[in-house]
Amino acid sequence: MTAPAGKVSRTVSDEVLIEVRNVRKYFPIMGGILRRQVGQVRAVDDVSIEIRRGETMGLVGESGCGKTTLGRTILRLVPPTAGAIRFRDVDVLALKGDDLKRMRRRMQIIFQDPVASLNPRMPVSDIIGEGLLAQADRENGWGSRPVRDGRVGDYLEAVGLRRSYARRYPHEFSGGQRQRIGIARALALDPEFIVCDEPVSALDVSIQSQILNVLVDLRERFRLTYLFVAHNLSVIEYISDRVGVMYLGKLVELADVDVLYAKPRHPYTIALLSAVPDPDPRIRKKRLVLSGDVPSPANPPSGCRFHTRCWLRERLGNPENCATDDPAFRDIGGGHRVACHWADEITDATVAQFVPRVGRRLDEVRAAAAPAPGAPPPTASVAPPASPPIGRPTSG
Amino acid sequence: MSRLEAAQERRAEAGVPGSGPPQASDVLLEVRNLRTYFHVMDGTVRAVDGVDFKINRGGTLGLVGESGCGKSVTAHAIMRLIETPPGEIAEGEIWFDGRDLLTLSDEEMREIRGGDIAMIFQEPMTSLNPVFTVGDQISEAVRLHQKVSAREARDRAIESLRLVGLSAPERRVRQYPHELSGGMRQRVLIAMALSCSPKLLIADEPTTALDVTIQAQILELINDVQAQTGTALLLITHDLAVVAETVQTLAVMYAGRIVETGSVEEVLLNPRMPYTQGLLNSIPGEKKRGKALSAIEGVVPSPFRMPPGCKFQPRCPHQWERCTMEPDLLEVGRSERRARCWLQAPGEIERRRTYDLAAAATVRDVIG
Repeated sequence: MTAPAGKVSRTVSDEVLIEVRNVRKYFPIMGGILRRQVGQVRAVDDVSIEIRRGETMGLVGESGCGKTTLGRTILRLVPPTAGAIRFRDVDVLALKGDDLKRMRRRMQIIFQDPVASLNPRMPVSDIIGEGLLAQADRENGWGSRPVRDGRVGDYLEAVGLRRSYARRYPHEFSGGQRQRIGIARALALDPEFIVCDEPVSALDVSIQSQILNVLVDLRERFRLTYLFVAHNLSVIEYISDRVGVMYLGKLVELADVDVLYAKPRHPYTIALLSAVPDPDPRIRKKRLVLSGDVPSPANPPSGCRFHTRCWLRERLGNPENCATDDPAFRDIGGGHRVACHWADEITDATVAQFVPRVGRRLDEVRAAAAPAPGAPPPTASVAPPASPPIGRPTSG
Repeated sequence: MSRLEAAQERRAEAGVPGSGPPQASDVLLEVRNLRTYFHVMDGTVRAVDGVDFKINRGGTLGLVGESGCGKSVTAHAIMRLIETPPGEIAEGEIWFDGRDLLTLSDEEMREIRGGDIAMIFQEPMTSLNPVFTVGDQISEAVRLHQKVSAREARDRAIESLRLVGLSAPERRVRQYPHELSGGMRQRVLIAMALSCSPKLLIADEPTTALDVTIQAQILELINDVQAQTGTALLLITHDLAVVAETVQTLAVMYAGRIVETGSVEEVLLNPRMPYTQGLLNSIPGEKKRGKALSAIEGVVPSPFRMPPGCKFQPRCPHQWERCTMEPDLLEVGRSERRARCWLQAPGEIERRRTYDLAAAATVRDVIG
């Protein structure tokens, strides 16, 4: 694999490749001796996003927020309860039979667990070749074994493995190599769109960066569009062009990656960013520690779903509308969308207080503007100094 | 006679200097030349291959490395939880509070385990017994180690649940593990660990299975109770950012050995070993956007085919002929600051300069 050196120039077109409209996915909860439905888990609840061709859309959130279900729903691996999904001009949910099969080639998935997602009884040539065989037609000639094997070898090379590995079985590979096989399997069908479902979460850090490099390299070479689902915020920041944050089945914030990380406006996003451990041992962290756990998606809170844990609501004296009205997912400028009644109350200084690196950047900007060191910050409520004396972090 | 006993006997006969309890009284735990092997079908895995470190009373040490580097096996060896066979503590001394744990009888060890040394594991679900209430499980630990009545033990359980910030602890003691979320279960485990006021708390990847906001809660809790109770902490993790906010001293492990140690500030801000630099550099983030991540090439060597000399040498961008010889844990600058790398040997000024430039760039990129 040749790693891209320096800045990579990429083209993200304006053309919308995937359009998700008001998608809901409710899973039934069965109970009682008659196994009747006694409730439903609202895994994805009224989510709309557009993914442009060539773009990488990141999706973050904690476990159970519905990010994986959303990815699988888009691929029609699970049928949505309601809503519409379009791939270019095609209504994905209306497809049947051969049309659906042809569509599957264009949309692929890479799974999280490199052990569970490869059949241990199949050699790599069959693991990758299986999809090719299923999609074989007169035009591509994938029905012929030599053609298929040639293609398997090509894509093994594309992900940085040797052609000869096609004869081996999954147990002969390390975790990183298995993940490469999973990538080759998705890629061999020549897709335009790939859902990457936590593709590096199970890997060690040094292997994680190797796989991220492969994914970035392939994105440029094959002009792929990714929906990248992960819970690791720094991985998402590295690979995404735009990022959506999910909480309890809903999208709560969506923005360009730079905007989301530097100027987040949803209190949950700020809490997430604040919770990420920072490798700088010098800074004293003032964490925004959310109380309690994520509520059950089977019985989500009324109004804004985050209101039961929201620090901003608490600061504002618990306004009533948070508990009664579901906030609209509104545009606050430049495609930055937030689902919060009180997002306008959040300023850069608020964010800087809780997110160490935003605070650091604000300090740098301020230092550049006013070279006098030790000048008092303009307001009392802003970030702690960038380099306080070295010491154990104190809890807020 | 086991290999360990033979080694201990040899040492006693020869009167090897340096063996015996640590001289400084503020040292709580001192691990010396610990070797733990696993005899499996394909041969012997030297999971821990000569590890030394110290933790002072009330001190904090982070043991960092990737899967298979031996960090968890080290912790299990301290607790004497290595299953024999196939495992074996082949050599070493583990001095805890004036006693070598490796010479204690099983009964003596049982008293220490859960009493003076407590451990928190990664999987909060599998470490709790599903058929007993939370209160029963904590009281059981208390009554095993202290002569108290069932009532007192229950009060102790409630008290420690309150210490770890669980709401309504009087009600929680009657709940079963399945009624609690992952974060709450981890709190229960911490409460259980703290119930006997241990002198040393070993936390093995305590937040790896948790979501980031819950991780923040648990790390804050560990920091708080550590500061409040003055217990010493051995934190095992693969995450450099987690240690950056939790411990004072850091030891980086690779292939069964410690490859770098020092204060957390010095190791993270001035890594002296290319592996540590590589780990730091693997943290993705904003400054790396649009650039290839500088991944550490290759994979950890197979335990059956360890390279000669430095174990990191096949993956190291700075390696040269000298690296096929085994480097010692060399002192760099101040005492207690060591790196197992020939770059730090006297005379390697040119090579060290090249490395230092690369390391400084990494630190700038990742930490800023």
